[in-house]
Amino acid sequence: MHIQAAMRKPGGRLSREDQRRLGDILQRVYDDVVRQGVPDRFKNLMEELEEDARSGDADAALAPERAQGGPNADANRVVAAKSFPHDKGSNQ
Amino acid sequence: MTMRSSVRDAMLAAVPSLRAFAISLCGNVDRADDLVQETLLRAMANIDSFQPGTNMSAWLFTILRNLFRSEYRKRRREVEDTDGSYAESLKSHPEQHSRVEFQEFRVALSKLPPDQREALILVGASGFSYEEAAAICECAVGTIKSRVNRARTRLAELLSIDGADDFGPDHTTRAILSAGGQG
Repeated sequence: MHIQAAMRKPGGRLSREDQRRLGDILQRVYDDVVRQGVPDRFKNLMEELEEDARSGDADAALAPERAQGGPNADANRVVAAKSFPHDKGSNQ
Repeated sequence: MTMRSSVRDAMLAAVPSLRAFAISLCGNVDRADDLVQETLLRAMANIDSFQPGTNMSAWLFTILRNLFRSEYRKRRREVEDTDGSYAESLKSHPEQHSRVEFQEFRVALSKLPPDQREALILVGASGFSYEEAAAICECAVGTIKSRVNRARTRLAELLSIDGADDFGPDHTTRAILSAGGQG
């Protein structure tokens, strides 16, 4: 019972029906992840990169953290974007 | 600045697909997310080499694939985690049957050679044309077609498609589940 696939000649083609079923589950497995959307991790990352680019250089990106004493600075963060003043509307 | 914002938005829009692709490639959600993060960093660092008006998504997929392959070569001796981390990542899935079904499929997918796996995913799930997939994988269109065909045939063998079982839980899945201790 198992298997048309095993009885098929090596390199033989799958039936259209088998292809459809494989394609269907592949799409569902994939879409299951796609539906999770954009995790915050990546939103934050892009925000930080954007702020970093806006501020011009990496030293500037770290400066506010230092100015505040930065005890909570997380060394793993790419830049300390959260402590930047938001300047939206003033120079955009 | 609006240009940067639009670049950022385009990148973020590609993230869900990049994650799905990365998870399919490396079989581990945490590594996949690291891979996506590295992809975004590389992309931003090389944004000047992106040509506006061309396919941002395909460009990002190309970067991610190249990163994965260089990492894969480094880690070749490591056994890929083909079920543990998937089980973990999928534990919150609302539909139990789908979860089991998906897991079985992912395990089968992980057994494909990387070349075949990426070709199948790009064409069969990410929605790229054969031509786009060939560009991403830096090979001929005919090569992509043949990899996709071989991937399908191999998957069908691994999943024992016989027209009756319909990918339901079978002995393989039960073995995986009992080994993992999760029902």
